[in-house]
Amino acid sequence: MKTNKMIVSWSWREIWSGQLWPVMVALTLIIACVVALSTLALRVEKVMTNQGRDLLAADLVLRSSNPISDSLAQKAQEAGLTVSSQSRFQTMAFSEEKLQLVTVKSVESSYPLRGELALRDANQSLINQVKPGELWLSARLFSILDTKIGETIAIGDAELAITGVIEVEPELAYNPFNSIPNLFIHRSDLDKTGAIQIGSRVRYRLFINGDPTSLAALQESYELQAGESWVDQNRESRAVRLMDKAKQYLSLTILMVILMAAVTLILTCLHYVRNRSETVSMLKSMGSSRAWLRSWLTTQVLIMFSLAFVIGSSLGMLLEYLLRVPLADILPQDLPSVGIQPFLFALGVALCIGLPALLIPLTRLLDAPAINVIQKQSVKYSKTSWWLLLLPLTALIVFYGSNKLVWMVLIGLLVLFVVLAALSYGFLQLLGKLKWGAAFSLALSRISRAPKNSMMQLAALSGSLMLVALIWLVKSDLLGDWQQTLAPDAPNVFSINISPEQQQDYLQALDQAGLPHSDAFAIIRGRITKIKGQQTSELEAYQDPEVRILKREVNFTWMDQLPVYNEVVAGDWTGEKTVSVEQGVAEELGLQIGDTMTFEVNSQPFTATVNSLRAVEWQSLKPNFVFIFSEDAVADLPSTWMVSFRAEEDQTPLVNELARSYPTVTLLDLRTMATKVQSLLRQISWSLTGLAALGVVAGILLIFTLLRLSLSERKREITLYRTLGASKKRISHTLWAEYGLLAVSGGLVAAIAAEVILSALMTWGFELSPQWHPGMFLVLPVLAILVVFVSLRSVIKGLLKPLR
Amino acid sequence: MSQSIISVENITKSVISNENELSILKGISFNINEGESVAIMGTSGAGKSTLMSLLAGLDQPSSGSISLLGSTISEMDDEQRAKMRSESIGFVFQNFLLIPSLTALQNVTLPMLLRGNEDQQGNELKAKKLLAEVGLAGRETHLPTQLSGGEQQRVALARAFVTQPKILFADEPTGNLDQKTAQTIVELLFAMNKDQGTTLVLVTHDPELAKRCQRTLVMNAGQCQESA
Repeated sequence: MKTNKMIVSWSWREIWSGQLWPVMVALTLIIACVVALSTLALRVEKVMTNQGRDLLAADLVLRSSNPISDSLAQKAQEAGLTVSSQSRFQTMAFSEEKLQLVTVKSVESSYPLRGELALRDANQSLINQVKPGELWLSARLFSILDTKIGETIAIGDAELAITGVIEVEPELAYNPFNSIPNLFIHRSDLDKTGAIQIGSRVRYRLFINGDPTSLAALQESYELQAGESWVDQNRESRAVRLMDKAKQYLSLTILMVILMAAVTLILTCLHYVRNRSETVSMLKSMGSSRAWLRSWLTTQVLIMFSLAFVIGSSLGMLLEYLLRVPLADILPQDLPSVGIQPFLFALGVALCIGLPALLIPLTRLLDAPAINVIQKQSVKYSKTSWWLLLLPLTALIVFYGSNKLVWMVLIGLLVLFVVLAALSYGFLQLLGKLKWGAAFSLALSRISRAPKNSMMQLAALSGSLMLVALIWLVKSDLLGDWQQTLAPDAPNVFSINISPEQQQDYLQALDQAGLPHSDAFAIIRGRITKIKGQQTSELEAYQDPEVRILKREVNFTWMDQLPVYNEVVAGDWTGEKTVSVEQGVAEELGLQIGDTMTFEVNSQPFTATVNSLRAVEWQSLKPNFVFIFSEDAVADLPSTWMVSFRAEEDQTPLVNELARSYPTVTLLDLRTMATKVQSLLRQISWSLTGLAALGVVAGILLIFTLLRLSLSERKREITLYRTLGASKKRISHTLWAEYGLLAVSGGLVAAIAAEVILSALMTWGFELSPQWHPGMFLVLPVLAILVVFVSLRSVIKGLLKPLR
Repeated sequence: MSQSIISVENITKSVISNENELSILKGISFNINEGESVAIMGTSGAGKSTLMSLLAGLDQPSSGSISLLGSTISEMDDEQRAKMRSESIGFVFQNFLLIPSLTALQNVTLPMLLRGNEDQQGNELKAKKLLAEVGLAGRETHLPTQLSGGEQQRVALARAFVTQPKILFADEPTGNLDQKTAQTIVELLFAMNKDQGTTLVLVTHDPELAKRCQRTLVMNAGQCQESA
């Protein structure tokens, strides 16, 4: 069949008057959402990856405790990669009058390969590379060493004049115990310091930048030596964990939006098939062949897909732009471009869902027999097109094969779809047993008269509401968790190396300065030597490269009471010579309550019994310990003290004053880092809130479409009632009651289901503790009633017209 | 002597209802000649519609044979029967069965399009002429919902005759119309039938309408008798 002008105009009219438009709306929504979400997701992911790389100062870093062989750098350069090396060590820095332990980072002028290095010199000019002969100090060192730009300080054997202050630097460490004030010198000045000698503790880093394939090839070809490890942005713990969760959330949101649109697509398409089966029979009676009918339907499908793609893509771009507006200050100005990938992805998704959703019912439409124009007959539909279901299934396996969160949601949804329908229906049956007014009784009897139809509607309604709730709740819980980890009043300065004699005075000084602080914690550095009497080196866990705690020194402390922010998950904080262990480490080491452990501090061994296991939130900046001993176990051992406190920006002079008054106490000022992490969090939070809002809007739009469809299917029946003399008031009251009941029961069931899925998602998917959201039991039914109200209002006038 | 255009030999039709076999047509035989008008009458459930669907090749008999335009229906597959319908058969239905999303003119041109006639201009000219014949000049662009029942049936008549079919099957063509409109439609139907020399097979309850046909077949409990 040639594409006749009439066929095209007919198809066009079919779409608008033949109730096919909701199919196109659903397709448009799928494309718009996928384009918007995947473009934004891709951009945010790229921004995040760049930020992750900024934190690393390169795409890939080789860390080593031994000098890194030049051959690796050479090999990398030959492969077209950019390299830059760094040596860092700790040494004392001396000014005229003061001294301080510092971390010296000797870098090349090419440092950093990623991220920002901002250095301000005496002329207040901003510089972003370290040149030979220069010395740059972190701001805190100026007050600690009581020095200023231009003055000379000694680092080891070298005497260098201070060039300026470090304002922004990449590679900010998160571990407060390893963070000592930094200074930068050029690599060519390293030898002058004389700091690198046999036995001196120097850490080496080789920063490498380049295309991912060459980086992967280099990593593949290089055999790691003892003390060496690769670090890329996927390995940076904290930020990456946040990003991973954000990414998982993005996948989940996209999937849920697609699911909602797919359900609507299928339902509207089935509705179309029901409506048009008579037309197809008539066309067949007039002699149209299957091939002709197929081309007729194909024209419609093609028009819908093309239009949906054009409108959906444009809408998607607009949506993505709108989502970015509030993020303007957070996202970088030069956003990474994403090319045509989101559009191809959207088209792929639309085809994977649209083809089976449209073609399976439309093929059934082709089976409508010609004889139906004279006598209605039951039809045996062919099942040949069911193979199309393989399309979305294959796509799911390819894209989400290893995403356990997605499978959890999908399987959960499948089970819940049936359970939801049954639950809602049961609830309405229960209501039917009670005494109600005329409108409610009629509505309830209407619902129970068509159980299959009512259950489908209920399942679709509660399913969509549940997805809407899930999108929002997962976002809120995730953000809640993140915000908790960096509460606005979280400590941002740590004081360590406080001697026992200084401890009381120091705490008093903090109180006098009005700086809110934590309790003081004893810090005892030691090692684990035996577990249940067995040497650690003989333990199976010792061979596991992931278990590092057995091979390094650990910070111990003792307390009268465990910190309130640590939850005891097993055992009790009782007994003599006991130790409480963080549950993750206990799991790694296979520790149980009652097990004995031997430790060593300054070559003095001592034994303690495990009395409890604790859950520790490492992401919070509160002082936390793997091992907390009872006082009798370790109190006699030599210790220093630490305390954490919160200092606002305007309290910097107080912090500096404290540093001057207690020069031997090391102050770890994490304010810059905290600001960076908070900005990262804020950025993710905004993106997630925007996406969640979009998901919710998409969900509500789809519920609206569903309800309108369901109501239009009732048109014939309602018109008949009206013709038989039922008053407008009676019909509209019954309709309000029926759909109101559907909304309330759908909303309640959706709230229950959302809580169940959310708990599972939080526990197993995001590894967070689940929360209870009683508000949802009010919000969801109200939301459902609102959508029903809008849908019903928009169609009720047309429904109440009598037969002509 | 006129040639037989429909030849029915001892046909039966049974369907399975609630696991029981229900016999609807029980050994019916008759001939209809080219150009004849034949009414099929009978009470509800007598098998009129079933017989008509078999005669028009919309369904297959359980046994016996029907020869339509010289071809045996039971030897043809779905597609061959569809081709035959598009080339030689027209329909008028009780509930008009117009395509709601097509205008009156497009509804009339549709059978030509189904035949593979892509000459849109020629088709439209022909359709306009027929629409004028049924009294709907100037209403070409109206959608079925903008037309009355009588007007819709006129469009259906124009659609049925536009391909100059050899046989026209009309299933209660006035069943949904008031008496006056029904009269007009009947007049039109017979006038066009006469003009084009079409064979007319008409299923009706209305004895007056049946009287207008040259022959009447009366269906009763699955049997068919020629009325005197």
